[in-house]
Amino acid sequence: MLLPKFEYHEPKTLSEAGRILSEMGGDASILAGGTDLLVNMKRGKASPGHVVSLSRIEELKKVGRDQGALTIGACLTVADLREVGHVGADFKGLYEAAGSLGSPLIRNLATVGGNIVTARPAADLPPPLIAYGATIQLVKEDGERTLPLEEFFKGPGQTIIEPGEILCSILLKEAPLYSGGGYEKLGMRKALEISVVNVAAFLALDGPSGAIKEARVVLGAVAPTPMRSPSAESALIGREPDERLFQEAGEKAAGDARPIDDFRGSAEYRSEMVKVLTKKALGRAYEEAKAREWRRWK
Amino acid sequence: MKTLINLKVNSRDYEIAVEPNTTLVDLLRYDLGLTGTKKGCGTGECGSCTVVLNGKPVNSCLILAIQAKDAEILTIEGVKLPQGLDPLQQAFVDKGAIQCGFCTPGMILSASSLLKKSPKPTEQEIREALSGNLCRCTGYQKIVEAVQAVAKDDERE
Repeated sequence: MLLPKFEYHEPKTLSEAGRILSEMGGDASILAGGTDLLVNMKRGKASPGHVVSLSRIEELKKVGRDQGALTIGACLTVADLREVGHVGADFKGLYEAAGSLGSPLIRNLATVGGNIVTARPAADLPPPLIAYGATIQLVKEDGERTLPLEEFFKGPGQTIIEPGEILCSILLKEAPLYSGGGYEKLGMRKALEISVVNVAAFLALDGPSGAIKEARVVLGAVAPTPMRSPSAESALIGREPDERLFQEAGEKAAGDARPIDDFRGSAEYRSEMVKVLTKKALGRAYEEAKAREWRRWK
Repeated sequence: MKTLINLKVNSRDYEIAVEPNTTLVDLLRYDLGLTGTKKGCGTGECGSCTVVLNGKPVNSCLILAIQAKDAEILTIEGVKLPQGLDPLQQAFVDKGAIQCGFCTPGMILSASSLLKKSPKPTEQEIREALSGNLCRCTGYQKIVEAVQAVAKDDERE
C-alpha cells in the first residue's frame, strides 16, 4: 500500500505550526502518531496536499503536574501516558484504557491527542477522560480556547475543531478524595481491537464510607460520540455504593445508549453489554476509590 | 521533493535523500537493502515490519522515513552478535519458534525490547508484549517458550 504524494512540514514550535496550518487552509492534515492518518491515506480515504508533523514540537510531549492536577501534552504517546506514575495512581480508569488501545507497537506511536481528535465513537481514551472531567486546550494562530472534552465531539470523525486549530493539551483536575475511576472494554480479542462497547465510570464519595456525591458514567461505541448517561448518574448520586445500585445504574445506562447494528455487534447485544460493563466499571471505580484512600494512609 | 536525512541504522550512519511519502519500512527495504524487516498489512495490525526506533518497538509501516531523521534504528539485521546468533535468536531456533519465518524478525524485536525493560517477564507479560505481532502459522506457544527460555537462562548466570 502506497502513500499518495504530499508536501511535508515539520514545525519546531506550536506557533510555527499554527502559521503553516493557517497558510495551507483546508489542504493540510496534522500528523501526530500517524497510526490513523497514514492508514487513511494509504486506503485513499485522505489525500492532503500538505502534512504537518507535530513530532518535533517538544512542548506538546510534556506532562505538567500541579499538586494533583495533570496537564497532558497532546503528542504524548499512549505508552508514555502509562509511564506517568500519577496516571496509574490517581487516574486508573485512564491508565487501563491506555493499556487496551491497539497493541504495544501502536501505543509507542499513537498519541493521546490523536485518539481524541480522530473522534472515533469506539475510541478508548475519550470515555475515561470525560469521566474524569477532562478539559482540552485548543490553539490557533490568533488565540486559544479551553473547553470540556465532552463538548468537543459532534459525530463519527466530526469535532468542533476549526481549520488551523491544534489540540495542544488535555487537563485533568486533581482527583478528589474518596474518588476513583474504572474502565471496561469489550472486544472480540484482547489486542488490536476496536471496542464493541466500552464504559468508563467515575465516583466520588462523601467521606471514606459515605454516599455517592459525584458520578459520571460515559459510554463508548453505542452512539455517534462518546456519551454520558444522565439516567445512570442521577440514579447513583446520593445513594450508598453497592453492587445492587451498580446493577440498577447499568440498566439505566442501557436505556440511555443509542447503539446501532454493525458487524461488531447488534444494537440489542450492545445494550445488554452496556448493563454488564457499566456495573463492572462502577465496581472498579468504587474499588479504586477505596484503594486510593488506603494508599493515602499507608 | 526529496529531503536529505541522517539516521543511524544498526549502529551505522546513513545519509540519504527521501521522498515525503516514503515509509520507514520502504526506506529500510528498498533503499538500504535491509529486507529482514518484513512488509505485511501496511496498516499497523500485523507487526511484521517491527523495528526498534530510539529504543521502542514500533510499526515501521506507520512512520514516514523523513520522521526518522536523526533517529537510531535497530532492525533484525542488527540483533546478531559478532560471534553468532543472539541468545534470543538461538532460543527461537532451538524451541522451534520459527515456522515460515515471516513474523520472526518482528517477534524477536518486540521480545528483546521486553527483555531489556523487564528481564524476567511473566508469561502474561510476554504475551502482552507480543500482542502486536501476529503469527499466522500460529506458533505462539513455542514463541512464548523461546522468550521464557532466554529469561530463564539469564537467571542462571
